Parts: sequence; C-alpha cells; structure tokens
Amino acid sequence: MTTTISRDEVMHLATLSNLQLSDDEIASLQNDLGGILNYINQLSELDTSGVEPTYQVTDLENVGREDIVMQPKADRDALLSLAPKQKDEQIEVPKVL
Amino acid sequence: MAEYEMTIGIESHVQLATVTKLFSPADNDARNKGPNSVVDPIDFGLPGMLPVLNMRAIELAAIAGRAMNAKIASISRFDRKHYFYPDLPSGYQITQMYHPTILAGAVDAPLDDGGSVHVRIHHAHLETDAGKLTHYSDYSLVDLNRAGTPLIEIVTEPDMHSPQEAKAFAAELHKLMVYAGVTYGDLYHGNMRFDVNVSVAPVGSTELGTRAEVKNLNSFRSVERAAEYEFKRQVALLEKGERIVQETRGWDDSTGRTSSQRSKEDAQDYRYMPDADIPPIVLSEDEVEKLQANMPLLPPYYREKWAGLGLDKSVVDSILAHQSYAVLIASIQDNAGDDVAKRVAHWFASGVSTDEETAEVASNFVPEGYVELAQMVEANELSSTAAKEVFNELLTGDKTPREIAEAKNLLQVSDEGAIASIVDEVLADPASAKAVADFAAGNEKVIGFLVGQIMKKSQGKANPALAQKLIRERL
Amino acid sequence: MTTIDEYLGTSAVANVKRAIQAAKDKPEYNALLALCEERALEQASKVDSGEIKGRLAGVPFVAKDNFLTFGAPTTAASHILKDFNAPLQATAIEKLEAEGAICIGKANLDAFAHGGSTENSVFGPTLNAVDKDRVAGGSSGGSAVATALGIVPFATGTDTGGSIRQPASFNGVYGVKPTYGTVSRFGVVAMASSTDTIGCFATSASDAQLVMDVMAGRDARDMTSLPDFFEIADVKSGQKIGIIKEFMTDDVDAGVKQSVIQYVDRLKSAGHTVEEVSLPILKYALAMYYVIVPAEISSNLARYDGVRYGKRADAGTLSDLYGKSRNDGFVSENKRRIMIGSYVLSSGYFDAYYMQAQKARTLLINAFNELFNTYDVLLGPVSPTPAFKLGENTSDPIKMYLADMMTVAPSLTGMPAISVPARATDEGLPVGVQLIGQRRHDAQLLALAKSVEGAA
Repeated sequence: MTTTISRDEVMHLATLSNLQLSDDEIASLQNDLGGILNYINQLSELDTSGVEPTYQVTDLENVGREDIVMQPKADRDALLSLAPKQKDEQIEVPKVL
Repeated sequence: MAEYEMTIGIESHVQLATVTKLFSPADNDARNKGPNSVVDPIDFGLPGMLPVLNMRAIELAAIAGRAMNAKIASISRFDRKHYFYPDLPSGYQITQMYHPTILAGAVDAPLDDGGSVHVRIHHAHLETDAGKLTHYSDYSLVDLNRAGTPLIEIVTEPDMHSPQEAKAFAAELHKLMVYAGVTYGDLYHGNMRFDVNVSVAPVGSTELGTRAEVKNLNSFRSVERAAEYEFKRQVALLEKGERIVQETRGWDDSTGRTSSQRSKEDAQDYRYMPDADIPPIVLSEDEVEKLQANMPLLPPYYREKWAGLGLDKSVVDSILAHQSYAVLIASIQDNAGDDVAKRVAHWFASGVSTDEETAEVASNFVPEGYVELAQMVEANELSSTAAKEVFNELLTGDKTPREIAEAKNLLQVSDEGAIASIVDEVLADPASAKAVADFAAGNEKVIGFLVGQIMKKSQGKANPALAQKLIRERL
Repeated sequence: MTTIDEYLGTSAVANVKRAIQAAKDKPEYNALLALCEERALEQASKVDSGEIKGRLAGVPFVAKDNFLTFGAPTTAASHILKDFNAPLQATAIEKLEAEGAICIGKANLDAFAHGGSTENSVFGPTLNAVDKDRVAGGSSGGSAVATALGIVPFATGTDTGGSIRQPASFNGVYGVKPTYGTVSRFGVVAMASSTDTIGCFATSASDAQLVMDVMAGRDARDMTSLPDFFEIADVKSGQKIGIIKEFMTDDVDAGVKQSVIQYVDRLKSAGHTVEEVSLPILKYALAMYYVIVPAEISSNLARYDGVRYGKRADAGTLSDLYGKSRNDGFVSENKRRIMIGSYVLSSGYFDAYYMQAQKARTLLINAFNELFNTYDVLLGPVSPTPAFKLGENTSDPIKMYLADMMTVAPSLTGMPAISVPARATDEGLPVGVQLIGQRRHDAQLLALAKSVEGAA
C-alpha cells in the first residue's frame, strides 16, 4: 500500500505546526512526507493486539517534590531580558484578536 | 407550540490551594504581585526546562475525589495538549486526557424546594492554567504569573435539567471543594470557573439536542442566568425551524446574553500525547486512603447533623456559606445541645452578612461565648433584642458576653426589691390610673401597657415576667 | 588525541590556553561554534587557586551546543536560538564544573540535534577528523571531532537515536549513550523526551567511565532521572556475548563487518563467549523511531515561537509572528520532523501510527529482555557504513534515516549502548563497535571495552 499525502494535507499540517512554508517547501515536504509515511507504514504489519504501549522507559513512578517555594535559577529580569520585545515588565506581542 | 426540556452538563475549573505551581516551585499566589514576578524558568518555557510534579496537587486531587464520592485511579498519567497562544509558554498545556486521577463520582445538590439533584461526575483531571493576556490598542502584553497554576477540571454527566439545578450544582460543588480544602474558592479571583453545556430537545425525545457551551462563568448566578438564556435562545431557534450550532459561546454579565465565539467546525486538533517527562502516578487503595485520612467534614454531613433542629433551609444555607460557622455551630451542638445550637444558628443566619463582598465578618469562633450568651437569654438575663446587640460584638471581640452586656448596661434586672419600687412608682402614677381601673374591672390586656411603662422606666432592663408578677400581686 | 590524565595536576590556566589554541589551530573542521575563553580562564584560575577541586580539576572539555551554559550562546545550531544566552546552566555542566572541569567551547551539531551528519547545522557542517571530505556524523559531530582532534580529552553529547554513538564511530573515539535517565536532562534543549540521553565522548574507556561517573545521578529537576546507580566497575570474566545477526547482513559495508569480526576475536581471546543471536523485530525499530521521535519533537519544539526568547520575525500580526518566526527559525530537517510528528499525533492517525509504534516498542523491549536472560552483552556495528561523503545523503531523508538503523533500538528501549573504536577500514576510516547492555549495566559495558582496549 502506498500512502500519498496531498498538498492540502501538507498545508493543514503546516497550520497545526504553525509554519508559514514557502511554495517550494510545501512541494518538497509533500514528497518527503509521502516517502517517510510509506516507510513507517510497515509498522502496521506488526500484531500488537493486547500489547500495552511503552511511553517511558524508566519504570519510575510517583516522582515529585514537596509544595515549597524555591527561588528560581533565573529571575524575572533575567527571563524578561530574553524577550524580543517587552513593555511594563511583560512580553509584548502584536494584538491578539 | 411543543414543550421543550433542557439538558445541562458542567465543566468546572477549580484552582488548587497549593503553595506552589503544579510543575514549578514558583509561588502560586499571584495576588497583589507585579507581572511576571512569580515565574520560574519552567513556567517561562525556557529551553531545557522540565516539569517537576507538586505532590500536594495529587493529595488534593485524592481529597477532591473523595468529596465527590469518586474513585481515585490506581494509575494516572499526564498528557500534553498542543496549541499556540502567547499565554501558553511551552506550546502545550499539561493535562490528563487519557488517564485522569479522579474517576467517576456523584454530587447531590440540594434545591430550594427541599429536593435535590443527583449529578454524576464523569471524571476530573489535573491540569495547568495558562498565563494572562492584556489587550491594548495595537498590542497585547503577556503576564505568566498564572501560567502553571494547578487546576482540577471536573466534568459532569448531562444530568441537570433546569437553570436552578445547574446553579445548585455549581454552588454545592463550590462548597464541597472549599470545605475539603481543595481550593480557596475565591470566585472574585477566578478560583472556580464554570463552562455550561446546554442543549434543548422536545419533551420525551430520546435524543439530546445539539449543545452549545457557555464558557468561563464565574458565579453561581451567572451559571443560572446563562442556562436560562440559552434555553430561551435555543427554543426560539427550534421554533423558527432553525438548527442549533455546536459552538462555544461567551457570557456577558451586564447584558445577560451569550454570544458565539467559535464553532465546532473550526475546532482545533490538539494532538494529545502522553508526557514522557512525567512518570505515572501509581496509588494503591491504602495509599489513597492515607491521602484522604484527614478529610474535613463536608456540607452533607452538617445538613444531616442539623436535620433535627428544625432550621429553615435558608438558615442552613447561610451557615453553610462559611465553613467556620458550620464548624462552630456543630461544635456548639455537640457541647451544649440542640436548643442552644439552634438559637446561635439563628443569630448567625440573621446577624451575619452572606454577601460575598462583605462576608467573613466573624472572627471569634470560640464556642463558649456563644453558648454562654444563649444561656443568658434562657435565664432571662438578657432580652432577645439585647442578645443580638451582644452577639454582634461577640463576633469579632474577645470579651465574654457578660462583660459585653455589663459594659453596655444590657443585663435585665431580676432583683425583686428594685423592680418592686419601680412597680409601685408606675402604679401610683396618675397616667396609669385608667389602666389600673380597667385591670381591676377584669381587662387582662392592659397589663401589657403597665409592663411597658415599667420597662420604659427601667430603661429596658427589668425582667418583664417578674414585673408582671409583681403587678398582679399588687392589684 | 589526548587523555584526561595529561591535564590533571598541571596548571588549569595552561590547560585551557592549550585547548583554546588547539581549537584555534583547526578552524577548518568547524567543530566549535564558540569559545568560552573568558569564562574558561576565570574557572581555570579558581582551580589553580584551589577554590575548585575535584576529579576533573583543570580538565578542559567542550559541550555540545544544546547544553545551556554560561560563557557563550546556546544556539542548538539553529536560527531561532542563534543569539540565545542561557540564564542558567545544565545540570550535567554544573556537575562537571563542580569537579573542576572547564568548558572551553560549544560544539557544532545538527540544528536541534536532528540529523546524523552535522550537515543540518546553520553554521555549516563539521568535517570528519580523519577525512575532511567526509561527514563528522551527527548529531554530536562537533563534540566527536573536537575529541578526535585532541582539542579536548572529552566532550559532552546527547544521544536520542545514535547522536553520540555514530559520530564516535565515524571519528574513532569512545561514545557513551547511557541508560535512559542516568544523567539529568535538565538544561539540555529537548529533542525527544522519552529517548534523549546525555553522554560523552572520550579517548579511552577509563576516561569515559570517569566522565560518566561525574555526570550521572538523580537530579530533583528531572523527574525521569534515575536514582544513583552508576559506579565504576571491574570486568566480569567469561561473559556471554551475542552478536546481532540482523546487523551483519550483506547490506552492511564489508570493511565495517571485518572490524566487528576482528573485535569479536579480541573478546574471544579474552575468554568471553560470542554467539550469533537474532532479533527479527529490529526490522521495525527504525519505523518505530521515526514515529515516536518526530511526535515528541513536534511537541518539544512548540515552545520556539519567537514570543519569549529567540529570534522573532518581523510581523504585524500574531499569526505571522508565529508562522514566520518558526519557519525562519527551523531548518528543513526540523520542519520535516515537526510535520511528521504533527501527522502521527493528529486525530485519525494517532492510533494507527503513534499508539501502534508505542506498542511495537513494548515488543522490542521484550525481545531485548529475552536475550538478556541469556546474554550479558549484545554487539554489532554502530553504523552500516563508515563516515560517508559530505552531501552524499542530504538530498534523500530516508537514506539519511537508514544510517540510524543500528542505533535507534537501544534508544527506544532505554538501554545503555557504547561505541568502541575498532580497527579502521582498509581505507583508514574509523569504525565503531556497538556494545549494548541491560538497563543500568552501563559500567559493565565500559569495563568490558576497557579490558580489551588496545588488544590487537
């Protein structure tokens, strides 16, 4: 079975991924993604009925911390100084509609 | 015109009363703090930052579950919900899509007519809150103080069928969560927010209608009003033969209307995914019991405890509006009996404002003073009017009721000699002559006038029963 | 190449100057993106004054540029983080510094560690230490080459699907991908949360042991870090070793196979038993990897949006700000993986791809564990070929991915795997042998490698 991926699907994925792709990129991604999907499709050959998925490989459980305030390793000024645009100790972005 | 029935399901967001955030050790209390001042690099979504779970949130989830008669999952996990928004620093919210900590439960919410509505809880999950955006003319500002604050989202089954039931559920859930210590429940600061799903269908229909979701309601009254408005709006559409659109709607409290925000058709694909940074939470039944060991008493317990006192529902409600009052009344009941508890309950119900803005005027929760006050009334040492005055001062002070009554000169005079001289004075007064004559002629009613005169002369302090007795002896 | 020993007990300032000079002498390799000269000298004088002591006192190293460090930007070799100055350091770096090690520079990598050749760096590729026409391997190419060139005796790296082992193999140095969770991931730019590991490059097994011992340990800032278990071990005699049949097929370069067989002979001479074993499910490992890892990448890279840090595109609207900052900020390979990840997580495909891959992963783990009931160590090549030519695989992503086929399985299972330098091919290209162990058996792998080190 060969999976193909349409230009519309590529554009939909670009929207989900928030990437403003150029037309050239859309075309080459359409080709690449089709190829990659065909490769990973072979997973459907595996019988996994009754198999539990593995999301993590540590066997750790109930890891956490106590409810105590800790001083951050970087304070407000250090963090805000990273922002491309800031105003009134907040991060500025174009108006959210 | 067909008859319609409405069906309501509610999703409630409850802000947890933790000291720190769900996955960062930053201060969880952002009230009166400057923007971005309680932000850890984790909350900022800095590269390389990893979540570290606040175990207190798991404890509170176990307690919240118990308060809703819900089971706690033996294995629960966290998932990522993806979307882009400037108030969401990592590009995903951490939530529990697939394996929530709190499983099915139920809440019985009392209604004003004395009945109750049984609302099943589908599940409840832990998740992080987003930051705050403030909009200006041509830009918006991002404050991440609230980003990462722990929430529990409680999802009901569609078990409510009137705006009153929806309001009753919201109010009862709020009480349960506050009593259990899960949240501070400060509605003004958005500690609890409700999304109300409303659908309408002809009575007797086996299928539910298309639902609209009114988001972000922050008071019980707005839950009720929004449900009411939606019912009318949807019925009007159906009557015109129009279709209900499945959508998210906003609520305007000032106009009392809902308005469309976004339809289900352009719903986002959140690409939920298990969060590999967070190991699962695995709890045995014993461990769950341990977490729930110090469960505070909840409103249903108090209602049952007071069932025999013959209090009106409104009195019970105003006591239950404040956990501290409920605890106090219950303690008085245990130590001084039903009659005293009932008397104090009435004082609280009528004497203390339940208005959210001015609430919590009481600060004295030591039972002894209230018990003593009730006993003074029973012993005729205080009139009921005087008792109210003492009560108001007792609420916030640390003086005993007797001290207050003495300082205010409110104690009733029960000294026979002292009252006798006032009685003699009144009876001898020419102004009383007609009443004295009438009484002698067999008109019993005029004794009230005479007692009144004695009370006036004693500035209200004479024990009226004693005064009456002395009048009768003399006439 | 140099070893850690050479730098101990000497002037730290001199060590740092020597390393920085060595780096400056070899700019054509493009191994380093930035030097942390000023900070390195400061640290060195603290070591020389005795303020900082430790097992790595005065030893210079380079950090892959996806570790948050002071002293130079942390770019992840990407556009979007080109000028990102980290306000804090990774736990691994802090631990190395606490033992007196000194970071002298940041090493090149594929942007966001996506790639197997370091050709995806926005700063240009790193050249192979042995043959400048060939790739360094990747994604930790700069770290491998800096170590192989003798600029530093060790370097840090990250390995998500082979990013330490493969460049180690291509440049003839040791590369350690530890058990998942051995070293804290805190402060390292995340790629795939469930397979990202922090490891190192070194020129001897004992140096690698020492560096891992310093970096390893439970960290309260990483919930997936394991309780301390790493300790330097002695080799167990008479081990049972399985050579993986599926990694020794005709598709594998003959020179690579020869080197592996020669290494097997060394192990046999040392008294170990080596038998052929089969893991049929390995055929699917790469497909699992290219579902799970892109899914996690699409999620972990969602934070790079130009809002709070990093390069923000000129944009009048919020949607342009996002769309352009991200499109300009990522290289093609980043976008490819983000898009694949979005695809396998999107509604309608989640079960068929993502869940199926995570279930297949369970089968893969079970198959490995089954073999570990009988065998102490599994063995095979690191890569089917020696270092390939620059540009050879860049036009075909699948071909590039296939080069990872031998390294992804231990990443998916969380097991330790190391790349050990074996005999070079007849053309003189380095070849690495991969030793794979059970989870938490990292030290035993290194002890085994050490025991046959230098044997002919």
